[in-house]
Amino acid sequence: MEEWRLLLTDAKDAFTNMAIDEAVLRQVAEKKSKNTVRFFQWVPSTVSIGYFQGINQEVDLGVCKNKGVDVVRRITGGGAVFHDYNGEITYSVAVNESHPKIPRDIIDSYHVLCGGLVNGFKLLGLNAEFKPINDIVVNNKKISGSAHTRRFGGVLQHGTILYDVNINLMFSLLKVSDEKIRDKMIKSVEERVTSIKKEKGNADKKKVIDAMTKGFESALDIKLVKGELSQEEIEIAEELKVNKYGTKEWNFKR
Amino acid sequence: MGQKNGILSADYKVKGGKLLRCNLNVDNDIISSIKITGDFFMYPEEKIESLEQMLTGAKMDEESVREKMNAFLSSNVQVVGADAEDFVKLIMSASAN
Repeated sequence: MEEWRLLLTDAKDAFTNMAIDEAVLRQVAEKKSKNTVRFFQWVPSTVSIGYFQGINQEVDLGVCKNKGVDVVRRITGGGAVFHDYNGEITYSVAVNESHPKIPRDIIDSYHVLCGGLVNGFKLLGLNAEFKPINDIVVNNKKISGSAHTRRFGGVLQHGTILYDVNINLMFSLLKVSDEKIRDKMIKSVEERVTSIKKEKGNADKKKVIDAMTKGFESALDIKLVKGELSQEEIEIAEELKVNKYGTKEWNFKR
Repeated sequence: MGQKNGILSADYKVKGGKLLRCNLNVDNDIISSIKITGDFFMYPEEKIESLEQMLTGAKMDEESVREKMNAFLSSNVQVVGADAEDFVKLIMSASAN
């Protein structure tokens, strides 16, 4: 059976996390690293914004600063995500674009790669379904969202796995289009978003990661073997952190 | 000269959920600068800047904007979560305030 690398990089800062994703993507694209599934967390907690989003349109930077929450722009499109250290696990998959399991069509690719998460949620006893374009729902409530890019000859998909969710905290960090309806909006999001804890009564991070690992193995018909970042990846990530993800030019470009 | 000149902005919710936003400057009915933001997907991502460049200098009317959008989307680019008409509606709904 085909072996991919499993990376468990624990909790790191926002700029390192996004730099690692790109470093791994670059090395996987060049076939210098094995195709990879990675699970990680963010410390301090972070708001990541999509490539096309305006940072000041989406994020209340003053509140983030007061609460010690970092903000980073992703290489991928999509929406703003609050990566709460106490409630969220992030996954990322980096795979060479020529891999036979990866469809050329982007929406089909979401479906294939989200299949790993759907299987993982099922192993946790949740009736999860893929909801196009890029969400996974349980009982019609969002429990995971993903973003995808293709560049350098590789595919990177990363996304969020909610195991506990604090919507009030999340919305204190994000701007809403109309302040007059903030309370109403929070209420409606509460009705549309769920978490593993909300559905199951409890959530253990390690169990979640184990289930998702097995989920990806069965969805992609691969064996995930625990590995480490290569020396090259560490060096590329360090460079990207300093010269890209940690810079104002990048984070404030829109 | 039309009504729509000066600093304009719009938010436009696409059917299916994505939110498109724009800020633009219109002088003498010509788009003199534009920034398009939102939670959509575009591949390759850097093409958003080409789109903004293509729209800069365009006439602020539906036909001109549609023509630019169609030309952009027939180049080597893919947008997921919104189509040409969504961007046309976004830009044409821009207003001052």
